[in-house]
Amino acid sequence: MATTTEQQSDSSDSENGILAQWTQGVIGDDEKRSRLYRALFYVACGFFLVTTLFPFYWLLVLALTPNSQILTGDWSLPVIGLEFPHPQGFNPQAFVEVFQQIPFHLYVFNSFVLATITTIIVLLVASLAGYVFGRLEFPGKGPLMLAVLMVSYFPPAAFLIPLFDAFLGNAVVIPFLGIELFQPPRLVNTPGSMILPFSALFMPLAIFILTTFYAQIPDGLEDAARVEGTTRLGALFRVIMPLSAPGVATAAVLTFIAVYNEYFFSSIMALENVPENWSPLVGGILSYQDQYTTDFNLMAAASIVGVIPILILVVVAQERIVSGLTAGGLKE
Amino acid sequence: MSTEQEPDTATQESQRSGPLVAVTRWLENLGETAFAYLLLTPVFVILGAIALYPLLRTLELSMYINVLGTGDPEFVGLQNYIDMFTGARDPDFPGSTTFLPDIATSSSFPFVHVGGWFRSALVVTLVFTVVSVFFETLIGFGQALILDQEFRGRRLVRVAIIIPWAVPLVIQGMIFYLMFHPSTGFLTEYLANLGLLAPTNTLNDPLSALIIVTVADIWKTTAFMALLILAGLQSVDRSLYDVAKVAGASRWQQFKLITLPLVLPAVAIAVLFRTIDAMRVYGLIDIASSCTVVPSLSCMVVETFNTNRGLASAIAFVTAGIIGILAMVVIYRQYKEGF
Repeated sequence: MATTTEQQSDSSDSENGILAQWTQGVIGDDEKRSRLYRALFYVACGFFLVTTLFPFYWLLVLALTPNSQILTGDWSLPVIGLEFPHPQGFNPQAFVEVFQQIPFHLYVFNSFVLATITTIIVLLVASLAGYVFGRLEFPGKGPLMLAVLMVSYFPPAAFLIPLFDAFLGNAVVIPFLGIELFQPPRLVNTPGSMILPFSALFMPLAIFILTTFYAQIPDGLEDAARVEGTTRLGALFRVIMPLSAPGVATAAVLTFIAVYNEYFFSSIMALENVPENWSPLVGGILSYQDQYTTDFNLMAAASIVGVIPILILVVVAQERIVSGLTAGGLKE
Repeated sequence: MSTEQEPDTATQESQRSGPLVAVTRWLENLGETAFAYLLLTPVFVILGAIALYPLLRTLELSMYINVLGTGDPEFVGLQNYIDMFTGARDPDFPGSTTFLPDIATSSSFPFVHVGGWFRSALVVTLVFTVVSVFFETLIGFGQALILDQEFRGRRLVRVAIIIPWAVPLVIQGMIFYLMFHPSTGFLTEYLANLGLLAPTNTLNDPLSALIIVTVADIWKTTAFMALLILAGLQSVDRSLYDVAKVAGASRWQQFKLITLPLVLPAVAIAVLFRTIDAMRVYGLIDIASSCTVVPSLSCMVVETFNTNRGLASAIAFVTAGIIGILAMVVIYRQYKEGF
């Protein structure tokens, strides 16, 4: 650090210790102090960069190292001898093998389909709710918003058992009355068994984000559209939704990421980890663990392949993600 | 969208007739309240069917035994809950896990020899929640302070901080599984020498696995904390800092006397959200370790629901109940402020 070296040369003709001199300098001199702050700031930055990105480096090392090398468990660096993961050999072939061992692309495709359909359903339904909560005044508004909020708090485990029963095709029974309502179709191993719980799970966040954005549109714009003769729904879809496109995009990005990342229902509702049963990314990565337990390089390579779409999305949509999480979070 | 088919102007509308126009006209003539309820119908149908119904049904199932057996389910009232808290149900928990800590079998003091403490679903969930949320708040505050500055490379640092939050759970779990797996990991030896982790069979040691899972959660979720706290930081009136500078306050004094008190409400909300979320931990444990090694409450629901549905429902409802109490705090705050 610049401050240290400079101070060291200053103190050469002094009797005090270097450290004491330096401390005196920092306390006394504003400029030195701000340089120290800046140095500390960049150290902290570097620390966070390393800790957040190191796991990805680790995955890359594992993916590029041939599996026979991994199994030796020896990560010591050539000269220093310190244990630190580094690629031993160069085997990009692993990224091809990932698709040869199991049809990994089909699992990723399933995840994309599930995420896209869920996002569309959530946006359509949450748009209506966001419009109502953000722009209309009516009795019962507060309690209804609380009800939506409550849903987002419950753990998925509290929904699992009856949903699983119903998706197996068992009759839906009115709780505590014992009256059988109807026999639902067997939904396990179909997209429906995941899209339905996803929609309910991620609806509240989308509603709160859209409510925030819709509430910010000036009333005058909607009134103008209404004077022009547009219907209320027409005004929603032609005036309010286009104007709050950033909010809609934010809700879409967050819902998509949430579904792509979901584990609980994704791992339970596809009874076998095969793509024909609509098993998503989760099933794909776990099937390397089940069948080819020793192919650690493939597990790592598959993880990298699976994370790339999300990386692109985060880099492209980082502004949306930040504004969405803070807007939704603060409102919730 | 359905409105695409609608006529463009009012004049056209009045000339046309047909079912669509009739529906549109009927919608227009609805009062604001009726219109609001109508638009909310889809939301509450979905939430009612996928959330409310399962919740009530879970409550009902938790009052029965023998739900899956050959005989008829038998109504036992609150017996499942009572048995759970007295330990009478512990034999039904998988892999010698328990609900409450079985202190009788853990012969020594909890922090020297952990014994039965980390076999208890309730203890494991609470410890995981408290420790992970504590460190996430601390580190997240640091990250938020950095993101609040203007500097070159800010976008890069922000992406780097957000990325772990966006990583799919299964990949996050896989990263930490591979990091501590006996044949691939490189960290186990160092950390075992420090006495932090078990030297062998690390991912199957209850305490070691709990530590690993907690660190993995901190790695992923700190970003969420940082963004919520950042929102709080950015709502602080900047002119306050100018006043403080004129008055000769040091940076530390500015932080202590202006930033901290003004940001604390935002931090409190963020902590509550994270606490509620951390109480549901399941997937990470399932991949990186195993549900019988780190028995969180959600884990126990998944592990038992195919063998003992009444018990699984009771665990699920206790989990929902604990979270519900925390949620009440948030809701009370919301209620006081109004929407």
